[in-house]
Amino acid sequence: MSHNKCASPNFLKSFDKPVEKLMFLCALSSIVFLFLMLLFITREGMQALFTFGADFIIGPVWETNSNLYGALPLIYGSLMVVAVALAVAVPIGVATAMFVEEVLPFSIRDLVKSLIELLASIPSIIYGFIGVLFLAPQIASLFGLSSGTVALTASLVLAIMTIPTIVSVSGETIAAVPKEYKEAALALGATKWQTLKNVVVPTAKSGILASVMLGFGRAIGETVAVLMVAGNVAVIPTPPWNILSPVYTLTAAIAMQMGEAAVGTLEYSALFGLGLILFIITLVVNSLADIIAKKGIKGEKGL
Amino acid sequence: MMRSRSWEKVFFTILGAPAAICLTVFFWITSVLLTGIGTIRLNLLTTSALQGGLFEMIVGTAYLLLGAAGVAGPVGVFAAIHLTEYARHGRLIRVIDQAINNLAGMPSILIGLFGYAFFCRQLGLGISLASGWLTLALMMLPIVIRGTEEAIKMVPYNFKEAALALGASKWETVKSVTVPSAAPGIITSILLGMARVAGETAAILFTSCVLVTRGLPKSPFEPVMALAFNLFVKIVALGESPDKVFGIALILFLLVISFASVGIALRIYYRRKQPWLR
Amino acid sequence: MAEVDIRKLNVWFKDNHVLKDLTLTIEENAVTAIMGPSGCGKSTLLRAINRMNETIDGCRTTGEIYIDGQNIYNGNTDVYELRRRVGMVFQKPNPLPKSIFENVAFGVKIHKLADGKKLNEIVERSLKEAVLWDEVKDRLHESAFSLSGGQQQRLCIARALAVNPEIILLDEPCSALDPIATQKIETLMRKLAEKYTVIIVTHNVQQAARVSDYVAFLYLGKLIEYGPTKQVFESPKHELTERYITGEFG
Repeated sequence: MSHNKCASPNFLKSFDKPVEKLMFLCALSSIVFLFLMLLFITREGMQALFTFGADFIIGPVWETNSNLYGALPLIYGSLMVVAVALAVAVPIGVATAMFVEEVLPFSIRDLVKSLIELLASIPSIIYGFIGVLFLAPQIASLFGLSSGTVALTASLVLAIMTIPTIVSVSGETIAAVPKEYKEAALALGATKWQTLKNVVVPTAKSGILASVMLGFGRAIGETVAVLMVAGNVAVIPTPPWNILSPVYTLTAAIAMQMGEAAVGTLEYSALFGLGLILFIITLVVNSLADIIAKKGIKGEKGL
Repeated sequence: MMRSRSWEKVFFTILGAPAAICLTVFFWITSVLLTGIGTIRLNLLTTSALQGGLFEMIVGTAYLLLGAAGVAGPVGVFAAIHLTEYARHGRLIRVIDQAINNLAGMPSILIGLFGYAFFCRQLGLGISLASGWLTLALMMLPIVIRGTEEAIKMVPYNFKEAALALGASKWETVKSVTVPSAAPGIITSILLGMARVAGETAAILFTSCVLVTRGLPKSPFEPVMALAFNLFVKIVALGESPDKVFGIALILFLLVISFASVGIALRIYYRRKQPWLR
Repeated sequence: MAEVDIRKLNVWFKDNHVLKDLTLTIEENAVTAIMGPSGCGKSTLLRAINRMNETIDGCRTTGEIYIDGQNIYNGNTDVYELRRRVGMVFQKPNPLPKSIFENVAFGVKIHKLADGKKLNEIVERSLKEAVLWDEVKDRLHESAFSLSGGQQQRLCIARALAVNPEIILLDEPCSALDPIATQKIETLMRKLAEKYTVIIVTHNVQQAARVSDYVAFLYLGKLIEYGPTKQVFESPKHELTERYITGEFG
């Protein structure tokens, strides 16, 4: 009985094996680095986690001067800014995706999609710059605030930055809805709108949900743009839903304080602790998005 | 009948509004930045930062970009070749796939934090160009892998079969048929990866940049100046008024947008028109 | 040229038993046609001779194939050298995305058989053998895709000839071509048989009758009948063969 790969060594082909090994190592690199990230961020954050225990997560005071590091205001700040951002970005993003994939004529679809992708490629520092320069003063004068760098401003900037992610991912799933489904509905006399509402959206709903999760992941990890317009005050707003007060986010704290924190200090370790919290949130959210998207594909096949 | 038709028009108009908002925002940002074009004088581009120019920032950004592409390009392409041409579908491949997705979704600040702990401190590279290359390469990697995978999957199987039937080994087939056929797609993915990191701030914040250097770095183990980093520090830490840094913002914007537009345009071009489908 | 001796060949794709206990000896310097309805395993048989089946995942092969007395399925066969000796032409013309010249030179370069002036000579000789030289000699460096389908197929034949094969496998080489291009390829196949062992898979009974010296009829993975073409067509021994030849099924 013969199997594959029973060639004798041939000097001309002697490159094959080493190259194959090298390629395998390259393929492993993502796993290796993801693992190293977890390892090193955890290692550097250990000190803070041991010092404060659960208080590191639920402690309400984040004060460098008194060496107190409770991340609750930062976690709250991050979640609040992202929640408001998604409330704006999801409807706009999903509607845009539907419009681009289902309504726009094919000839200009690529152009519009490309422009939205360009919107995604604008560096966050530029968004922050525009936010500081134009959006913050507008918000300040609109609501009569002394400073426009508040949660709402950060949320709006984040919304603009998240929309392209939602558009491209949900657009992909909308485009992947089999033509036969749509034709079946149209042939029954359904209008384009009815087809979209009753066939396309239900079929693509898991992909749309996945796009929201990915948008969440992108938004909560956004750093530079947010810290430039969020005000950076490590206090939970009063009342907690006051989106017109300044907030401090996980990412902003890391970026703002890493420069000054000396290696080995409690502050240094606490910043890595924040990194660990962020790492876990992102990992969970992205994995969920993956699972939802894959389930959606399986579900469609079963239809 | 008429009623549902006219309703449909209304609905689609409503649906189109958000798309219009997106495009408006894009053109608005572009136009805002372009108003800063008056503040740029060409000699700023070649004047040293010590005399208030941008020379070291521009060249430093280019160094960072090219080095990161030099690391992420080969590693990403090799990884993608392995995943599409060599790997057998199994548990390990699913895990690798998941890891690539997770790496793609990792916030850049975390990649920077890790870069500092691992490249700068653990490997002893310090705040340097080399640390910046590796950190940014980590961000580019998923983009290069995904783009290359897509390009390779579009190479028709009968090309590979033709080479194999002539007695080419797998690697020879990959090297002389698959990769050349996928080359436009691979280059595009590297360009898009560069666009992603060209304006990146958080990842280089504490791994490779300083505000001012004397001249260009002489070795990869020296720190470097970069447009994004300078813009960030000048606004956030030094509190300089935004209109003073308009020039940096505009140049950075144009740099990133040109990388991204070329990448996106090439991708559309090759998706639509592969030379062998003529 | 070489004789191909197939003994007790079995091929599976995953759980699908595609070829069952095939034993036949293919004569050298002749055209042997393998025919049968689609799905009977004729392409698989062809691809077993240059071991191209193993480029497909889940393929398993047992049995022996002897080329010039050497079992190509034993452990120390060099598959790459085997595929140089056994050239293959596919159903759909599959030129590589390179120039006409580079297509023919491709295999020569892979096997480092020649370069420089000698390479030019080989390319010219192969294109002449494939009766394509006169049509392309002025545009050797144009893309291979600028050729018509029939020309592309002859280019693929030239590419296979360039590496000095002994056996040429053709997998339904005319199925994507028009009648005139088909006729050219058929004439070419007769000519090739003077120098090479030619094995062709076809589902076209008339083509098998026109071009082959020997014909093998496969049905559901089994060899039903094998013999000189004239004998098989004039007095088939098996009822299935007769029904297939007369076009009763297929």
